[in-house]
Amino acid sequence: MLLRDPFTKALHDARRSLAGWAVAIVAVGSMYAAFWPTMRTPEMADALAAYPEGLLEAFNYSDLTSAAGYLGSAVYGLLVPLLVAVFAIAAGTRAVAGDEEAGTLDLVLAHPVGRARLALLRFAAVAVGVVLVTALLGLALVALRGPAQLGDIDVGGFAAMTLHLALFGLAFAAGAYAAGAATGRRAVALGTGAGVAVLGFLANSVFPQVEGLAWAQRLSPFHWYLGGSPLVDGVQPVGVLLLLGSTVLLVAAGTAAFARRDVAV
Amino acid sequence: MAEPAIHTEGLVKTYGRNRGLTGLDLRVEPGEVYGFLGPNGAGKSTTIRLLLDLIRPTAGRVRVLGADPRRDGVALRRRIGYLAGDFVVDGRQTARELLTYLGNLRGGVPRARVDALAARLDLDLGRPIRGLSKGNRQKVGVVQAFMHSPELLILDEPTSGLDPFLQHEFLAMVREARAEGRTVFMSSHVMSEVQQTADRVGIVRDGRMVTVARVEELRERAVRKVEVTFAEPVDAAEFAALPGVSEVTVAGTVLRCRLDGRADALVKAAAAHTAVGLLCEEPDLEELFFGYYSREEATRAVA
Ligand SMILES: Nc1ncnc2c1ncn2[C@@H]1O[C@H](COP(=O)(O)OP(=O)(O)OP(=O)(O)O)[C@@H](O)[C@H]1O
Ligand SMILES: [Mg+2]
Repeated sequence: MLLRDPFTKALHDARRSLAGWAVAIVAVGSMYAAFWPTMRTPEMADALAAYPEGLLEAFNYSDLTSAAGYLGSAVYGLLVPLLVAVFAIAAGTRAVAGDEEAGTLDLVLAHPVGRARLALLRFAAVAVGVVLVTALLGLALVALRGPAQLGDIDVGGFAAMTLHLALFGLAFAAGAYAAGAATGRRAVALGTGAGVAVLGFLANSVFPQVEGLAWAQRLSPFHWYLGGSPLVDGVQPVGVLLLLGSTVLLVAAGTAAFARRDVAV
Repeated sequence: MAEPAIHTEGLVKTYGRNRGLTGLDLRVEPGEVYGFLGPNGAGKSTTIRLLLDLIRPTAGRVRVLGADPRRDGVALRRRIGYLAGDFVVDGRQTARELLTYLGNLRGGVPRARVDALAARLDLDLGRPIRGLSKGNRQKVGVVQAFMHSPELLILDEPTSGLDPFLQHEFLAMVREARAEGRTVFMSSHVMSEVQQTADRVGIVRDGRMVTVARVEELRERAVRKVEVTFAEPVDAAEFAALPGVSEVTVAGTVLRCRLDGRADALVKAAAAHTAVGLLCEEPDLEELFFGYYSREEATRAVA
Protein backbone atom coordinates (compact mmCIF):
# COMPACT_ATOMS: atom_id res chain seq x y z
CA MET A 1 0.00 0.00 0.00
CA LEU A 2 1.46 3.33 -1.09
CA LEU A 3 0.02 5.28 1.83
CA ARG A 4 1.93 3.25 4.38
CA ASP A 5 4.76 5.58 5.42
CA PRO A 6 6.44 8.85 4.38
CA PHE A 7 8.71 7.04 1.92
CA THR A 8 5.98 5.31 -0.07
CA LYS A 9 3.76 8.37 0.27
CA ALA A 10 6.45 10.56 -1.28
CA LEU A 11 6.77 8.12 -4.19
CA HIS A 12 2.99 8.05 -4.51
CA ASP A 13 2.82 11.85 -4.61
CA ALA A 14 5.66 12.06 -7.15
CA ARG A 15 4.25 9.41 -9.46
CA ARG A 16 3.03 11.78 -12.16
CA SER A 17 6.07 14.02 -12.21
CA LEU A 18 8.29 10.94 -12.15
CA ALA A 19 6.53 9.45 -15.16
CA GLY A 20 6.78 12.77 -17.01
CA TRP A 21 10.49 13.16 -16.38
CA ALA A 22 11.19 9.54 -17.27
CA VAL A 23 9.41 9.92 -20.60
CA ALA A 24 11.10 13.24 -21.37
CA ILE A 25 14.63 12.14 -20.51
CA VAL A 26 14.35 8.76 -22.21
CA ALA A 27 12.82 10.40 -25.30
CA VAL A 28 15.52 13.07 -25.59
CA GLY A 29 18.31 10.55 -25.00
CA SER A 30 16.93 8.01 -27.47
CA MET A 31 16.26 10.63 -30.10
CA TYR A 32 19.82 11.91 -30.00
CA ALA A 33 21.18 8.37 -30.01
CA ALA A 34 19.03 7.59 -33.05
CA PHE A 35 20.72 10.45 -34.95
CA TRP A 36 24.05 8.71 -34.73
CA PRO A 37 23.83 6.84 -38.06
CA THR A 38 23.24 10.15 -39.87
CA MET A 39 26.20 11.73 -38.06
CA ARG A 40 28.63 9.16 -39.43
CA THR A 41 28.57 10.59 -42.95
CA PRO A 42 31.70 12.43 -44.16
CA GLU A 43 29.59 15.52 -44.98
CA MET A 44 28.59 15.87 -41.34
CA ALA A 45 32.18 15.46 -40.20
CA ASP A 46 33.23 18.27 -42.54
CA ALA A 47 30.41 20.49 -41.37
CA LEU A 48 31.42 20.03 -37.74
CA ALA A 49 35.06 20.63 -38.54
CA ALA A 50 34.08 24.11 -39.68
CA TYR A 51 32.94 25.09 -36.14
CA PRO A 52 35.50 26.80 -33.89
CA GLU A 53 36.97 24.26 -31.51
CA GLY A 54 36.22 26.31 -28.41
CA LEU A 55 32.51 26.31 -29.16
CA LEU A 56 32.36 22.58 -29.58
CA GLU A 57 34.29 22.08 -26.39
CA ALA A 58 31.96 24.40 -24.57
CA PHE A 59 29.13 22.06 -25.51
CA ASN A 60 31.17 19.03 -24.54
CA TYR A 61 31.29 18.02 -28.21
CA SER A 62 34.86 16.82 -28.07
CA ASP A 63 34.91 13.80 -30.31
CA LEU A 64 32.13 13.17 -32.77
CA THR A 65 33.85 10.56 -34.88
CA SER A 66 33.09 7.46 -32.79
CA ALA A 67 29.80 6.21 -31.37
CA ALA A 68 31.16 6.57 -27.81
CA GLY A 69 32.45 10.06 -28.56
CA TYR A 70 29.12 11.14 -30.02
CA LEU A 71 27.01 9.61 -27.27
CA GLY A 72 29.34 10.94 -24.58
CA SER A 73 29.03 14.45 -25.99
CA ALA A 74 25.62 14.85 -27.53
CA VAL A 75 23.60 12.64 -25.20
CA TYR A 76 25.42 12.22 -21.90
CA GLY A 77 27.51 15.39 -22.23
CA LEU A 78 24.92 18.12 -22.46
CA LEU A 79 21.17 17.75 -22.67
CA VAL A 80 20.69 14.66 -20.53
CA PRO A 81 22.76 15.83 -17.56
CA LEU A 82 21.07 19.22 -17.67
CA LEU A 83 17.63 17.61 -17.74
CA VAL A 84 18.61 15.23 -14.95
CA ALA A 85 19.97 18.15 -12.91
CA VAL A 86 16.74 20.11 -13.32
CA PHE A 87 14.64 17.07 -12.42
CA ALA A 88 16.81 16.30 -9.39
CA ILE A 89 16.86 19.89 -8.14
CA ALA A 90 13.07 20.13 -8.42
CA ALA A 91 12.61 16.83 -6.57
CA GLY A 92 15.17 17.72 -3.88
CA THR A 93 13.47 21.07 -3.35
CA ARG A 94 10.05 19.48 -2.99
CA ALA A 95 11.25 17.02 -0.34
CA VAL A 96 11.26 19.58 2.47
CA ALA A 97 11.22 23.23 1.40
CA GLY A 98 8.42 22.92 -1.14
CA ASP A 99 6.19 21.14 1.32
CA GLU A 100 7.06 23.58 4.08
CA GLU A 101 6.30 26.69 2.03
CA ALA A 102 3.01 25.16 0.95
CA GLY A 103 2.21 24.91 4.68
CA THR A 104 1.63 21.18 4.56
CA LEU A 105 4.70 20.01 6.50
CA ASP A 106 3.25 21.08 9.85
CA LEU A 107 0.58 18.41 9.83
CA VAL A 108 2.91 15.48 9.20
CA LEU A 109 5.41 16.70 11.79
CA ALA A 110 2.62 16.89 14.37
CA HIS A 111 2.35 13.10 13.97
CA PRO A 112 4.60 10.54 15.60
CA VAL A 113 7.40 10.82 13.05
CA GLY A 114 10.89 12.08 13.86
CA ARG A 115 12.06 15.12 11.95
CA ALA A 116 15.26 13.56 10.68
CA ARG A 117 13.50 10.32 9.83
CA LEU A 118 10.83 12.08 7.81
CA ALA A 119 13.38 14.15 5.88
CA LEU A 120 15.61 11.14 5.17
CA LEU A 121 12.67 9.02 3.99
CA ARG A 122 11.65 11.84 1.67
CA PHE A 123 15.18 12.05 0.30
CA ALA A 124 15.26 8.30 -0.15
CA ALA A 125 12.14 8.58 -2.31
CA VAL A 126 13.83 11.28 -4.38
CA ALA A 127 16.88 9.05 -4.76
CA VAL A 128 14.74 6.15 -5.95
CA GLY A 129 13.21 8.46 -8.57
CA VAL A 130 16.62 9.64 -9.82
CA VAL A 131 17.95 6.09 -10.04
CA LEU A 132 14.79 4.92 -11.77
CA VAL A 133 14.86 7.64 -14.45
CA THR A 134 18.56 7.27 -15.21
CA ALA A 135 18.32 3.47 -15.27
CA LEU A 136 15.42 3.67 -17.74
CA LEU A 137 17.53 5.87 -19.99
CA GLY A 138 20.39 3.38 -19.76
CA LEU A 139 18.07 0.49 -20.66
CA ALA A 140 16.61 2.43 -23.59
CA LEU A 141 20.07 3.12 -24.99
CA VAL A 142 21.15 -0.50 -24.54
CA ALA A 143 18.02 -1.50 -26.46
CA LEU A 144 19.00 0.98 -29.21
CA ARG A 145 22.51 -0.41 -29.55
CA GLY A 146 21.57 -2.50 -32.61
CA PRO A 147 19.20 -0.18 -34.48
CA ALA A 148 21.29 2.95 -33.87
CA GLN A 149 24.60 1.24 -34.68
CA LEU A 150 26.08 1.83 -31.24
CA GLY A 151 27.75 -1.59 -31.25
CA ASP A 152 31.22 -0.34 -30.28
CA ILE A 153 29.98 0.58 -26.83
CA ASP A 154 29.54 -2.49 -24.65
CA VAL A 155 26.81 -2.91 -22.07
CA GLY A 156 29.38 -2.37 -19.32
CA GLY A 157 30.07 1.09 -20.72
CA PHE A 158 26.37 1.96 -20.56
CA ALA A 159 26.17 0.60 -17.03
CA ALA A 160 29.15 2.71 -15.93
CA MET A 161 27.72 5.82 -17.61
CA THR A 162 24.34 5.19 -16.00
CA LEU A 163 25.95 4.87 -12.56
CA HIS A 164 27.78 8.15 -13.10
CA LEU A 165 24.62 9.88 -14.29
CA ALA A 166 22.58 8.58 -11.34
CA LEU A 167 25.20 9.78 -8.86
CA PHE A 168 25.37 13.12 -10.65
CA GLY A 169 21.60 13.47 -10.27
CA LEU A 170 21.76 12.43 -6.61
CA ALA A 171 24.39 15.08 -5.86
CA PHE A 172 22.14 17.80 -7.29
CA ALA A 173 19.09 16.44 -5.52
CA ALA A 174 21.11 16.43 -2.29
CA GLY A 175 22.23 20.02 -2.82
CA ALA A 176 18.69 21.32 -3.31
CA TYR A 177 17.42 19.12 -0.48
CA ALA A 178 20.09 20.39 1.92
CA ALA A 179 19.57 24.06 1.08
CA GLY A 180 15.80 23.61 1.42
CA ALA A 181 16.00 21.57 4.62
CA ALA A 182 18.33 24.07 6.25
CA THR A 183 16.33 27.18 5.32
CA GLY A 184 12.80 26.03 4.55
CA ARG A 185 12.78 28.26 1.49
CA ARG A 186 11.99 26.97 -1.98
CA ALA A 187 13.75 29.82 -3.72
CA VAL A 188 16.96 29.16 -1.80
CA ALA A 189 16.86 25.46 -2.66
CA LEU A 190 16.15 26.07 -6.35
CA GLY A 191 18.66 28.91 -6.55
CA THR A 192 21.43 26.91 -4.91
CA GLY A 193 20.82 23.96 -7.22
CA ALA A 194 20.64 26.11 -10.35
CA GLY A 195 23.69 28.15 -9.33
CA VAL A 196 25.81 25.07 -8.75
CA ALA A 197 24.61 23.58 -12.06
CA VAL A 198 25.48 26.68 -14.09
CA LEU A 199 28.84 27.28 -12.37
CA GLY A 200 29.70 23.59 -12.54
CA PHE A 201 28.86 23.49 -16.21
CA LEU A 202 30.98 26.55 -16.97
CA ALA A 203 33.82 25.26 -14.82
CA ASN A 204 33.88 22.02 -16.76
CA SER A 205 33.49 23.32 -20.31
CA VAL A 206 34.39 27.00 -20.54
CA PHE A 207 36.85 27.82 -17.75
CA PRO A 208 39.44 25.26 -18.94
CA GLN A 209 39.79 27.37 -22.09
CA VAL A 210 40.60 30.42 -19.99
CA GLU A 211 44.16 30.71 -18.83
CA GLY A 212 44.49 30.43 -15.05
CA LEU A 213 41.01 28.95 -14.51
CA ALA A 214 41.72 25.38 -15.58
CA TRP A 215 41.90 24.24 -11.94
CA ALA A 216 38.20 25.04 -11.55
CA GLN A 217 37.33 22.04 -13.68
CA ARG A 218 38.36 19.67 -10.92
CA LEU A 219 35.74 21.19 -8.61
CA SER A 220 32.90 20.71 -11.07
CA PRO A 221 30.31 17.97 -10.58
CA PHE A 222 30.13 17.83 -14.37
CA HIS A 223 33.80 16.86 -14.41
CA TRP A 224 33.32 14.25 -11.70
CA TYR A 225 30.51 12.85 -13.80
CA LEU A 226 32.07 12.99 -17.28
CA GLY A 227 35.81 12.97 -16.59
CA GLY A 228 37.67 9.86 -17.71
CA SER A 229 34.96 8.85 -20.22
CA PRO A 230 33.01 6.24 -18.25
CA LEU A 231 31.22 5.19 -21.45
CA VAL A 232 34.51 3.87 -22.84
CA ASP A 233 36.74 3.31 -19.82
CA GLY A 234 34.14 2.20 -17.29
CA VAL A 235 33.54 3.40 -13.75
CA GLN A 236 35.89 6.18 -12.62
CA PRO A 237 36.44 5.66 -8.89
CA VAL A 238 37.51 9.23 -8.13
CA GLY A 239 34.48 10.77 -9.83
CA VAL A 240 32.14 8.25 -8.23
CA LEU A 241 33.57 8.87 -4.78
CA LEU A 242 33.39 12.64 -5.14
CA LEU A 243 29.77 12.53 -6.29
CA LEU A 244 28.78 10.01 -3.63
CA GLY A 245 30.75 11.79 -0.91
CA SER A 246 29.20 15.18 -1.61
CA THR A 247 25.73 13.61 -1.67
CA VAL A 248 26.24 11.99 1.73
CA LEU A 249 27.71 15.14 3.25
CA LEU A 250 24.95 17.37 1.91
CA VAL A 251 22.17 15.06 3.04
CA ALA A 252 23.70 14.71 6.50
CA ALA A 253 24.24 18.46 6.92
CA GLY A 254 20.78 19.37 5.59
CA THR A 255 19.05 16.81 7.81
CA ALA A 256 20.94 17.94 10.91
CA ALA A 257 20.04 21.57 10.28
CA PHE A 258 16.40 20.65 9.69
CA ALA A 259 16.15 18.70 12.93
CA ARG A 260 17.39 21.72 14.86
CA ARG A 261 15.40 24.62 13.47
CA ASP A 262 11.83 25.92 13.70
CA VAL A 263 9.33 24.74 11.14
CA ALA A 264 7.54 27.59 9.41
CA VAL A 265 3.76 27.56 9.17
CA MET B 1 -2.38 15.91 42.54
CA ALA B 2 -1.85 14.25 39.18
CA GLU B 3 0.81 15.56 36.86
CA PRO B 4 -0.55 18.35 34.65
CA ALA B 5 -1.37 17.50 31.04
CA ILE B 6 0.38 20.67 29.91
CA HIS B 7 2.78 22.65 32.01
CA THR B 8 4.89 25.59 30.91
CA GLU B 9 6.99 27.89 33.05
CA GLY B 10 8.42 31.18 31.90
CA LEU B 11 8.04 30.17 28.29
CA VAL B 12 9.69 32.69 25.98
CA LYS B 13 9.77 32.62 22.20
CA THR B 14 11.26 35.38 20.10
CA TYR B 15 11.26 35.44 16.34
CA GLY B 16 14.28 37.55 15.53
CA ARG B 17 13.13 40.95 16.76
CA ASN B 18 9.46 39.96 16.99
CA ARG B 19 8.23 38.71 20.30
CA GLY B 20 6.00 35.66 20.23
CA LEU B 21 5.82 34.76 23.93
CA THR B 22 7.28 36.76 26.80
CA GLY B 23 7.11 34.32 29.72
CA LEU B 24 4.01 32.19 29.60
CA ASP B 25 2.99 30.12 32.61
CA LEU B 26 0.33 27.63 31.73
CA ARG B 27 -1.03 24.66 33.61
CA VAL B 28 -3.70 22.39 32.16
CA GLU B 29 -4.95 19.61 34.42
CA PRO B 30 -5.64 16.15 33.05
CA GLY B 31 -9.26 15.60 32.10
CA GLU B 32 -10.24 19.23 31.81
CA VAL B 33 -11.29 21.33 28.85
CA TYR B 34 -9.16 24.44 28.79
CA GLY B 35 -10.06 27.43 26.65
CA PHE B 36 -7.12 29.51 25.53
CA LEU B 37 -8.34 32.96 24.61
CA GLY B 38 -6.62 36.02 23.28
CA PRO B 39 -6.68 38.67 20.57
CA ASN B 40 -4.85 38.33 17.25
CA GLY B 41 -1.13 38.03 17.69
CA ALA B 42 -1.37 37.25 21.41
CA GLY B 43 0.73 34.10 21.08
CA LYS B 44 -1.86 31.31 21.02
CA SER B 45 -0.55 29.55 17.93
CA THR B 46 3.02 30.10 19.06
CA THR B 47 2.27 28.31 22.34
CA ILE B 48 0.54 25.44 20.57
CA ARG B 49 3.36 24.95 18.07
CA LEU B 50 5.86 24.88 20.94
CA LEU B 51 3.85 22.10 22.62
CA LEU B 52 4.16 19.99 19.47
CA ASP B 53 7.88 20.67 18.98
CA LEU B 54 7.25 22.35 15.64
CA ILE B 55 9.19 25.32 16.98
CA ARG B 56 11.65 25.49 19.87
CA PRO B 57 11.48 27.79 22.90
CA THR B 58 13.97 30.61 23.35
CA ALA B 59 13.76 30.10 27.12
CA GLY B 60 11.57 28.42 29.70
CA ARG B 61 10.28 24.94 30.40
CA VAL B 62 7.61 22.90 28.60
CA ARG B 63 6.20 19.55 29.62
CA VAL B 64 3.32 17.81 27.90
CA LEU B 65 1.79 14.65 29.39
CA GLY B 66 4.83 14.49 31.61
CA ALA B 67 7.23 14.38 28.67
CA ASP B 68 9.62 16.81 27.03
CA PRO B 69 8.31 17.61 23.52
CA ARG B 70 11.86 17.99 22.23
CA ARG B 71 13.34 14.79 23.62
CA ASP B 72 10.35 12.43 23.55
CA GLY B 73 8.54 14.08 20.66
CA VAL B 74 7.69 10.97 18.68
CA ALA B 75 6.27 8.98 21.58
CA LEU B 76 4.47 12.07 22.85
CA ARG B 77 2.81 12.99 19.56
CA ARG B 78 1.35 9.50 19.40
CA ARG B 79 -0.83 10.53 22.35
CA ILE B 80 -1.85 13.91 20.96
CA GLY B 81 -4.40 14.99 18.37
CA TYR B 82 -3.60 18.34 16.77
CA LEU B 83 -5.61 20.70 14.63
CA ALA B 84 -3.64 23.62 13.22
CA GLY B 85 -4.98 27.16 13.05
CA ASP B 86 -4.82 27.06 9.27
CA PHE B 87 -5.29 23.46 8.27
CA VAL B 88 -3.70 23.07 4.81
CA VAL B 89 -3.05 19.86 2.95
CA ASP B 90 -2.13 18.87 -0.57
CA GLY B 91 -5.44 19.20 -2.41
CA ARG B 92 -4.81 16.55 -5.05
CA GLN B 93 -5.63 13.68 -2.72
CA THR B 94 -9.02 12.64 -1.41
CA ALA B 95 -9.86 13.05 2.26
CA ARG B 96 -9.92 9.26 2.52
CA GLU B 97 -6.37 8.95 1.17
CA LEU B 98 -5.07 11.65 3.50
CA LEU B 99 -6.76 10.16 6.56
CA THR B 100 -5.50 6.68 5.68
CA TYR B 101 -1.96 7.98 5.43
CA LEU B 102 -2.17 9.98 8.66
CA GLY B 103 -3.75 7.00 10.38
CA ASN B 104 -0.89 4.81 9.20
CA LEU B 105 1.63 7.25 10.65
CA ARG B 106 -0.10 6.54 13.97
CA GLY B 107 0.05 2.82 13.45
CA GLY B 108 -3.38 2.46 11.86
CA VAL B 109 -6.83 3.79 12.74
CA PRO B 110 -9.93 1.61 12.24
CA ARG B 111 -11.77 2.56 9.07
CA ALA B 112 -15.08 2.35 10.91
CA ARG B 113 -13.95 5.05 13.33
CA VAL B 114 -13.05 7.42 10.48
CA ASP B 115 -16.32 6.67 8.72
CA ALA B 116 -18.31 7.32 11.88
CA LEU B 117 -16.65 10.70 12.45
CA ALA B 118 -17.10 11.68 8.80
CA ALA B 119 -20.76 10.71 8.89
CA ARG B 120 -21.26 12.67 12.07
CA LEU B 121 -19.77 15.80 10.51
CA ASP B 122 -21.45 15.10 7.18
CA LEU B 123 -18.15 14.93 5.31
CA ASP B 124 -17.73 13.19 1.96
CA LEU B 125 -14.40 11.35 2.13
CA GLY B 126 -14.28 10.37 -1.53
CA ARG B 127 -13.79 13.79 -3.06
CA PRO B 128 -10.43 15.43 -3.75
CA ILE B 129 -9.69 17.92 -0.99
CA ARG B 130 -9.09 20.63 -3.57
CA GLY B 131 -12.78 20.62 -4.40
CA LEU B 132 -13.97 20.98 -0.79
CA SER B 133 -15.26 24.21 0.71
CA LYS B 134 -13.33 25.83 3.57
CA GLY B 135 -15.67 24.38 6.16
CA ASN B 136 -15.48 20.90 4.68
CA ARG B 137 -11.70 21.10 4.70
CA GLN B 138 -11.83 22.09 8.34
CA LYS B 139 -13.92 18.98 8.98
CA VAL B 140 -11.10 16.85 7.55
CA GLY B 141 -8.85 18.54 10.10
CA VAL B 142 -11.27 17.80 12.92
CA VAL B 143 -11.53 14.13 11.90
CA GLN B 144 -7.74 13.67 11.80
CA ALA B 145 -7.39 15.22 15.25
CA PHE B 146 -10.07 13.02 16.85
CA MET B 147 -9.79 9.77 14.92
CA HIS B 148 -7.22 8.01 17.09
CA SER B 149 -8.96 9.00 20.34
CA PRO B 150 -5.89 10.76 21.77
CA GLU B 151 -5.34 11.45 25.46
CA LEU B 152 -4.76 15.12 24.71
CA LEU B 153 -6.40 17.22 22.03
CA ILE B 154 -4.65 20.45 21.06
CA LEU B 155 -6.92 22.49 18.86
CA ASP B 156 -6.05 25.88 17.39
CA GLU B 157 -9.25 27.76 16.57
CA PRO B 158 -11.04 24.53 15.77
CA THR B 159 -14.42 25.96 14.79
CA SER B 160 -13.18 28.52 12.28
CA GLY B 161 -15.11 28.00 9.06
CA LEU B 162 -17.72 25.68 10.57
CA ASP B 163 -21.37 26.65 10.37
CA PRO B 164 -23.38 26.97 13.62
CA PHE B 165 -24.79 23.47 13.36
CA LEU B 166 -21.34 21.97 12.96
CA GLN B 167 -19.90 24.17 15.68
CA HIS B 168 -22.53 22.71 17.92
CA GLU B 169 -21.66 19.18 16.82
CA PHE B 170 -18.00 19.91 17.36
CA LEU B 171 -18.59 21.19 20.87
CA ALA B 172 -20.56 18.03 21.58
CA MET B 173 -17.53 16.01 20.47
CA VAL B 174 -15.34 18.02 22.84
CA ARG B 175 -17.74 17.30 25.73
CA GLU B 176 -17.73 13.61 24.86
CA ALA B 177 -13.95 13.60 24.81
CA ARG B 178 -13.97 15.08 28.30
CA ALA B 179 -16.52 12.51 29.46
CA GLU B 180 -14.10 9.83 28.30
CA GLY B 181 -11.38 11.38 30.46
CA ARG B 182 -9.43 13.12 27.70
CA THR B 183 -7.88 16.55 28.06
CA VAL B 184 -8.77 19.28 25.58
CA PHE B 185 -6.75 22.44 25.08
CA MET B 186 -8.39 24.73 22.55
CA SER B 187 -7.66 28.25 21.45
CA SER B 188 -10.31 30.68 20.35
CA HIS B 189 -11.13 34.31 19.82
CA VAL B 190 -14.68 33.96 21.04
CA MET B 191 -15.61 33.47 24.65
CA SER B 192 -19.09 32.27 23.75
CA GLU B 193 -17.91 29.00 22.23
CA VAL B 194 -15.40 28.40 24.98
CA GLN B 195 -17.86 29.10 27.76
CA GLN B 196 -20.12 26.34 26.50
CA THR B 197 -17.53 23.62 26.96
CA ALA B 198 -14.53 24.77 28.91
CA ASP B 199 -13.93 24.17 32.60
CA ARG B 200 -11.35 26.91 32.72
CA VAL B 201 -10.20 29.69 30.48
CA GLY B 202 -6.84 31.38 30.26
CA ILE B 203 -6.60 34.78 28.64
CA VAL B 204 -3.32 35.51 26.94
CA ARG B 205 -2.19 38.86 25.73
CA ASP B 206 1.12 40.16 24.44
CA GLY B 207 2.74 36.79 24.95
CA ARG B 208 1.80 36.17 28.57
CA MET B 209 -1.11 34.99 30.64
CA VAL B 210 -3.32 37.81 31.83
CA THR B 211 -5.77 35.77 33.84
CA VAL B 212 -6.96 32.22 34.42
CA ALA B 213 -10.42 31.53 35.75
CA ARG B 214 -13.02 28.80 36.12
CA VAL B 215 -15.89 29.40 33.73
CA GLU B 216 -18.36 29.00 36.57
CA GLU B 217 -16.70 31.71 38.58
CA LEU B 218 -16.71 33.95 35.56
CA ARG B 219 -20.40 33.32 35.20
CA GLU B 220 -20.95 34.29 38.80
CA ARG B 221 -18.90 37.41 38.39
CA ALA B 222 -20.32 38.32 35.05
CA VAL B 223 -22.58 41.23 34.37
CA ARG B 224 -26.10 40.35 33.28
CA LYS B 225 -29.15 42.37 32.43
CA VAL B 226 -32.15 41.73 34.64
CA GLU B 227 -35.76 42.75 34.10
CA VAL B 228 -38.37 42.36 36.84
CA THR B 229 -42.03 43.06 36.31
CA PHE B 230 -44.01 43.89 39.47
CA ALA B 231 -47.72 43.99 40.18
CA GLU B 232 -47.44 47.66 41.21
CA PRO B 233 -44.97 50.45 40.39
CA VAL B 234 -41.77 50.43 42.48
CA ASP B 235 -39.25 53.02 43.51
CA ALA B 236 -35.92 52.95 41.65
CA ALA B 237 -34.00 54.31 44.63
CA GLU B 238 -34.86 51.25 46.66
CA PHE B 239 -32.91 49.07 44.24
CA ALA B 240 -30.13 51.40 43.13
CA ALA B 241 -28.27 51.04 46.41
CA LEU B 242 -28.14 47.24 46.36
CA PRO B 243 -24.72 45.61 46.01
CA GLY B 244 -23.90 44.67 42.42
CA VAL B 245 -26.87 46.48 41.00
CA SER B 246 -26.42 49.43 38.66
CA GLU B 247 -28.11 51.35 35.87
CA VAL B 248 -31.50 50.98 37.47
CA THR B 249 -34.44 52.30 35.46
CA VAL B 250 -38.09 51.95 36.26
CA ALA B 251 -40.77 52.27 33.63
CA GLY B 252 -44.11 51.85 35.30
CA THR B 253 -44.10 48.42 36.87
CA VAL B 254 -40.99 47.23 35.01
CA LEU B 255 -37.58 47.47 36.61
CA ARG B 256 -34.46 47.09 34.48
CA CYS B 257 -30.95 46.93 35.83
CA ARG B 258 -27.47 45.49 35.41
CA LEU B 259 -26.41 42.86 37.86
CA ASP B 260 -22.75 42.36 38.58
CA GLY B 261 -22.07 39.17 40.51
CA ARG B 262 -24.50 37.40 42.85
CA ALA B 263 -28.24 37.85 42.49
CA ASP B 264 -29.00 37.38 46.19
CA ALA B 265 -29.54 41.00 47.29
CA LEU B 266 -31.64 41.86 44.27
CA VAL B 267 -33.84 38.81 44.63
CA LYS B 268 -34.44 39.50 48.32
CA ALA B 269 -35.31 43.13 47.65
CA ALA B 270 -37.68 42.14 44.88
CA ALA B 271 -39.35 39.60 47.16
CA ALA B 272 -40.66 42.47 49.30
CA HIS B 273 -43.01 43.27 46.42
CA THR B 274 -45.22 41.10 44.24
CA ALA B 275 -43.10 40.05 41.30
CA VAL B 276 -45.08 38.84 38.28
CA GLY B 277 -42.22 38.33 35.83
CA LEU B 278 -38.49 37.84 35.92
CA LEU B 279 -36.15 37.93 32.98
CA CYS B 280 -32.43 37.33 33.37
CA GLU B 281 -30.09 37.23 30.42
CA GLU B 282 -27.41 34.58 30.16
CA PRO B 283 -24.25 36.40 31.26
CA ASP B 284 -22.25 37.75 28.41
CA LEU B 285 -18.74 36.58 29.14
CA GLU B 286 -17.57 38.23 25.98
CA GLU B 287 -18.03 41.52 27.76
CA LEU B 288 -15.92 40.20 30.58
CA PHE B 289 -13.26 39.21 28.13
CA PHE B 290 -13.12 42.77 26.81
CA GLY B 291 -13.12 43.89 30.42
CA TYR B 292 -9.87 42.04 31.01
CA TYR B 293 -8.32 43.72 28.04
CA SER B 294 -9.26 47.19 29.11
CA ARG B 295 -8.29 46.55 32.73
CA GLU B 296 -4.96 45.42 31.40
CA GLU B 297 -4.62 48.65 29.43
CA ALA B 298 -5.50 50.62 32.55
CA THR B 299 -2.86 48.97 34.74
CA ARG B 300 -0.34 49.61 32.01
CA ALA B 301 -1.25 53.26 31.80
CA VAL B 302 -0.71 53.56 35.57
CA ALA B 303 2.64 51.78 35.43
N1 LIG C 1 7.22 32.92 12.04
C1 LIG C 1 7.12 34.10 12.66
N2 LIG C 1 8.01 35.07 12.42
C2 LIG C 1 7.94 36.27 13.05
N3 LIG C 1 7.01 36.58 13.96
C3 LIG C 1 6.07 35.66 14.25
C4 LIG C 1 6.07 34.37 13.61
N4 LIG C 1 5.04 33.66 14.10
C5 LIG C 1 4.41 34.47 14.98
N5 LIG C 1 5.02 35.66 15.08
C6 LIG C 1 4.64 36.78 15.97
O1 LIG C 1 4.36 36.27 17.25
C7 LIG C 1 3.21 36.85 17.81
C8 LIG C 1 2.23 35.78 18.22
O2 LIG C 1 1.70 35.15 17.07
P1 LIG C 1 0.68 33.95 17.14
O3 LIG C 1 0.52 33.43 15.76
O4 LIG C 1 1.12 32.99 18.19
O5 LIG C 1 -0.65 34.69 17.60
P2 LIG C 1 -2.11 34.09 17.78
O6 LIG C 1 -2.50 34.36 19.19
O7 LIG C 1 -2.19 32.70 17.31
O8 LIG C 1 -2.93 35.06 16.83
P3 LIG C 1 -4.23 34.74 15.94
O9 LIG C 1 -5.38 34.89 16.85
O10 LIG C 1 -4.19 35.84 14.93
O11 LIG C 1 -4.08 33.40 15.35
C9 LIG C 1 2.66 37.79 16.75
O12 LIG C 1 2.97 39.10 17.14
C10 LIG C 1 3.37 37.44 15.49
O13 LIG C 1 3.66 38.58 14.74
MG1 LIG D 1 -3.20 31.73 15.72
